[in-house]
Amino acid sequence: MPSQAPSLPFLSRGQLFVLGGLALVPLLDFLLPSVQLSAQMRTVVVFAMLGLGLNIVVGWTGLLNLGIAAFMAIGAYAYGILTCEVYPFQVGFWPGILLAGAIGAIAGFLLGAPTLRLRGDYLAIVTLGFGEIVQDSIKNLELITKGTEGINPLPAPWVPGPVASGEPGGWQQLFEPITSETPVRWFYVYLGILALAVYLARNLEFSRLGRQLFAVREDELAARCMAIEPDKAKLKAFAMGAALAAVAGAMFASGLSSTGEPANYDFQVSILALCIVIVGGIGSITGVLVGAIVMVGLSNVLLPNLTQALQRSGIGSTGSVFASPDNYKYLIFGLALVLMMRYRPDGIVHSRKAVRK
Amino acid sequence: MSAPLISVERVTMRFGGLTAVKDVSIDVAKGSITAVIGPNGAGKTTLFNAITGVYEPTEGAVKVSGRDPRRALGPNVVAGAVATGVATGVGLALLVRVETIWQASVLDLYEFQKAFPWGAAVKAFLVSLFAGGFVGTWLPILVGVVLGAGGRLVIWSRTRRTPDVVASAGVARTFQNIRLFPDLSLVENVVVGMDRRLSSGLLGGIFRLPAAVRERNAARADALTLLEFVGLADKAESSAGNLPYGHQRRLEIARALASKPDVILLDEPAAGMNPTETVDLMRLIRSIRENGTTVVLIEHHMRVVMGISDRIAVLQYGEKIAEGTPDEIKNDPKCIEAYLGKEELG
Repeated sequence: MPSQAPSLPFLSRGQLFVLGGLALVPLLDFLLPSVQLSAQMRTVVVFAMLGLGLNIVVGWTGLLNLGIAAFMAIGAYAYGILTCEVYPFQVGFWPGILLAGAIGAIAGFLLGAPTLRLRGDYLAIVTLGFGEIVQDSIKNLELITKGTEGINPLPAPWVPGPVASGEPGGWQQLFEPITSETPVRWFYVYLGILALAVYLARNLEFSRLGRQLFAVREDELAARCMAIEPDKAKLKAFAMGAALAAVAGAMFASGLSSTGEPANYDFQVSILALCIVIVGGIGSITGVLVGAIVMVGLSNVLLPNLTQALQRSGIGSTGSVFASPDNYKYLIFGLALVLMMRYRPDGIVHSRKAVRK
Repeated sequence: MSAPLISVERVTMRFGGLTAVKDVSIDVAKGSITAVIGPNGAGKTTLFNAITGVYEPTEGAVKVSGRDPRRALGPNVVAGAVATGVATGVGLALLVRVETIWQASVLDLYEFQKAFPWGAAVKAFLVSLFAGGFVGTWLPILVGVVLGAGGRLVIWSRTRRTPDVVASAGVARTFQNIRLFPDLSLVENVVVGMDRRLSSGLLGGIFRLPAAVRERNAARADALTLLEFVGLADKAESSAGNLPYGHQRRLEIARALASKPDVILLDEPAAGMNPTETVDLMRLIRSIRENGTTVVLIEHHMRVVMGISDRIAVLQYGEKIAEGTPDEIKNDPKCIEAYLGKEELG
């Protein structure tokens, strides 16, 4: 007699392992105090969040979205407008990040509602165009978005806890914003948000809607004949992916304390997010986390630090472009992609869709 | 006799110049096993596709329990179209003059680090939104309403009779060229088939609300029972794509049964099965009927067809050439001719 449905653990072993590993990163700050690794690893967390959103759309629903960066931009600018003191809203970090997610979901809904009936390549072209339109709109709506200047300053997360620097005393101190002197706490806040998103995404994966998405990806007509409405399922997936991407954008902007310029959210970012999903293992949450650590860790943490170390040691100080590993970024990316496609086309972490319990 | 569960009423399917099904009428009685047979290319699968909503019949209608399953022009559709139209219209008007409106309702009123007059801002927003005159406000609203409401209605009119609507009316089917979800486990495949009976929504799933968890556990338990019914329970957690062919056919049947349909349409369920599997299949189809589900099947194995059917309809070149009990069909000269060819006389 087959057993009853097993109860679902909150996170899978792989997810716990990767998140736990990330939680140990601040320990390295003690070993390498000059590097400030936990400040740099924030970017990895942000891109893991972006990958998580894209994975719902590309990995689970099978829709090629080449404009995920646009939703990241929408989230970043929504967060900027809602929290920056040059605008009247000033809602603060947590409401700001939630509202950014909600605005992202609405944007995803608005883009998806008329276009999700398009198939395959046509949808990819629409999302690609949307990415360009959003970037250009932000650049040109100078009254609202400050054009290429970017909106700043933006608040850092706001959590209870002692502040590393500052006047002692006063209960308000508990609620003071995180500053650039508290990168460890900042990192943990971001990691906490990511862990929550992983938990929610995992719930989605095993929910009725998750199953509908998988069915639509595998065989849309068969899914339709099972009384599933693919258009509705796709729209929900698209909106949720956009919401996570927008939250990633808000975290990105808060991390920079500025939305930066619109070019921060260009096609390259969409491709990077796609690479994270594909390299990590398409359809797997653990894969997305690993993909973000590998791709962004390489390009934003490892290579720049290596370059700096080389310069400090005097080897690269001559200014030779060949002596700075940072310049080999795309060479390494390309090589890695070729090798991946040759030896492990399913990604670093195989998504084991079949043994979903 | 009570009203037929499915009545195909003078259905014609034309693809350009090709008439695949021509003026076919078949009634399927509740609780019966009806077979549709005919040589290859006779239009049997096309007929199934017309019944299940994959195709819209060029002429004629298919009724399920006396009703034509299609999305009605109800208050939902109208309200949806109106809401979409108004939202698109206002959104467009907002977009066209977004900077002016922003200037009037935010930048003009906000002084750095002073309290923001929210009431005045909302008023200024509304005033400036409608201050664009015909070209700035009313034309965009008009265009938006037409586009939004019109688009919504066009989509409604084109998706009136899609397979999900027909499936929701209690018609389940399998496919001639098996269409499982290969990367999902057997249980998951069956639970997808159950979707019509599930009610948990987006929030219940994401936040793992107790009701959704209970529903999921119950659905999986049901799915295991169904897998046992078709004899696949021992492989419940392996992936559907790895099953042998005969098992895949039975999994498709389990998935179709999962929705507790009134009628199940089987498209060549015995294709590619060996004799033992075929006997098992006949037993399975009979027990499906005994559980109260009406069965319609397309089949080439005459042993299966003659062994289990109550009624048989014969198609040739898209036309129904005979209908009756297995004995009548066996002795019908037209059917013999269709299958074996005409005897040359002199």
